[in-house]
Amino acid sequence: MDRPMDEIRNEWRAARAIARKELLVFRRYRLNAVNQVLQPLYQTLIPGVLLGATFAVGGEALGLAETAGTTDLTGYLFLGMLALNLGSAGFWAVAYSLKMELDAGTLEPGWLTPTRRETFVIGMTLAGLVFALLATAILLAIGTWFFGAQLAPRLVVAIPALAVASIGVLGIGYLIGAIVLRMREGNFFVDATDFIFVALSGAAFPIVVLPEAVRWISYLLPTTYALDLMRVAALDTRPLLAVPLEWVAMALTSVALVAVGRAAWLSTEHRMRMLGTIGQH
Amino acid sequence: MSLADLRGDVRAFGAATIKEWRILRRYKGSLLSFVFWPIALPLAYVFQAHAFSGGRADTAAAFAARTGTNEVAGFLFVGWATYMWLSIILWGPGTSLRTEQVRGSLEAIFLTPASRLVVLFGPAISQLVWAIWIFAVVGVALWLGFGVSIGPLEAARALGVILVGIPALYAIGALFAAVVLRFGEVSALVQGVRGLFTAVCGMSFPIVVLPDLAQRVALSLPPTYLIADLRAVLLTGAGIGQVAGDLLILAAMGGLLAVLAAYAFRRTEQYARRGGRLAQY
Repeated sequence: MDRPMDEIRNEWRAARAIARKELLVFRRYRLNAVNQVLQPLYQTLIPGVLLGATFAVGGEALGLAETAGTTDLTGYLFLGMLALNLGSAGFWAVAYSLKMELDAGTLEPGWLTPTRRETFVIGMTLAGLVFALLATAILLAIGTWFFGAQLAPRLVVAIPALAVASIGVLGIGYLIGAIVLRMREGNFFVDATDFIFVALSGAAFPIVVLPEAVRWISYLLPTTYALDLMRVAALDTRPLLAVPLEWVAMALTSVALVAVGRAAWLSTEHRMRMLGTIGQH
Repeated sequence: MSLADLRGDVRAFGAATIKEWRILRRYKGSLLSFVFWPIALPLAYVFQAHAFSGGRADTAAAFAARTGTNEVAGFLFVGWATYMWLSIILWGPGTSLRTEQVRGSLEAIFLTPASRLVVLFGPAISQLVWAIWIFAVVGVALWLGFGVSIGPLEAARALGVILVGIPALYAIGALFAAVVLRFGEVSALVQGVRGLFTAVCGMSFPIVVLPDLAQRVALSLPPTYLIADLRAVLLTGAGIGQVAGDLLILAAMGGLLAVLAAYAFRRTEQYARRGGRLAQY
């Protein structure tokens, strides 16, 4: 039997291979890839900036200063798009890949290999995160050149924040994977939960404007803290909690999300093996 | 065309409508989406508007001055409901052609003596039912959630605006259908055009906040007039006479686009038939 370290190394190699395969498939559909990078621009940023301009007084976003502590509307929404990208990595990368495997009938053969089932989700999420990273870099470049955003130098804090939040994104990947396997046709569900997740993370507006009961759900999402920490660092916005507390909350919610998601995934996988429905779609 | 042909086409229209309705009913997730999105999408923008307003009198006054109404929720709900309806009409004919192409039933349909109009717009009739549903959901949400009530007179005026807008929108839908026949996969193009509409047609903002060039682009697109006129008759109490100028432009655009769409569709159909490409995808 392999030693634990060897097993981890093997699983990591398998996860990288799965991520490489997913990125290869993604690269084949170039127009779709370009569209996915640009979608947050025209679906979130531009309508948001223009709605902000409708409320502007003397060209200043005075209302945003009241609710978020900054008048830099473009910068605020630009950083919100990072949450959008991160969310998509967890939601769509896993949902789309699993659905493709189900439809192509390749999920069952894949699961017959000695690779752990959890590793498949890790690989798919990894591919989503790589794509999210690339999309973010391109969007930041666009933001700097076209919108004059001055975010890049102050975003060093984003690296550790994104790294911690990525653990939570893996948890989402597990949860979404379990749902896709159970529902088989879960496009609407994935789309709707992705939308709610991104909105409640505060991508498009500060969560202080949400009703109090809903706000508590926001506090359970690691992306809420990741985004808030980035905004505090880059735009001097008012933090939701004290900054050290936000780091702790982000780490705790990320770990909790992975634990819940992994449990859901393992239970779904077990159920499907018992029922023999892995090959159905 | 004889009376018998006309009767046959009407029957074919009815059959196409019933078929689409049955398919839609089978996927319960799609039904849920028709309740979720008309409420969730505008609601996110309402929260964003609250954040941008910041509860200040000067920002609220700026909004009212630029939009001509104090009804922030009404403004956003009507804008996004129109957007969702537009999406259904614009992408409906192309999407249903593409679906038939992928299923391999398009060639068989083209062999029937039914008019091409039936092939193109038969499914769109059932989608019109959903458009009415979207507006009904939005009306109820506005009434229950924000106390904005829309009377029968305003609703009748809105229906008038919609009727004038239909030829232009269906013609754009037919143009997309022609592109589907010519190139097959067009989702990236569809997303791009949807992005253009979102960015300039004023779903979440009045077009006066756009730069000059973008305003000119917006004024050359039918959805801009449709959204502005629907808002005028539903939220500001404007009569049909007050938006008559816009409606004339919309009708003229409809006529022009219909001629263009008929020509483009006939040419691409000839191309597909001669090249034996109807069944290819």
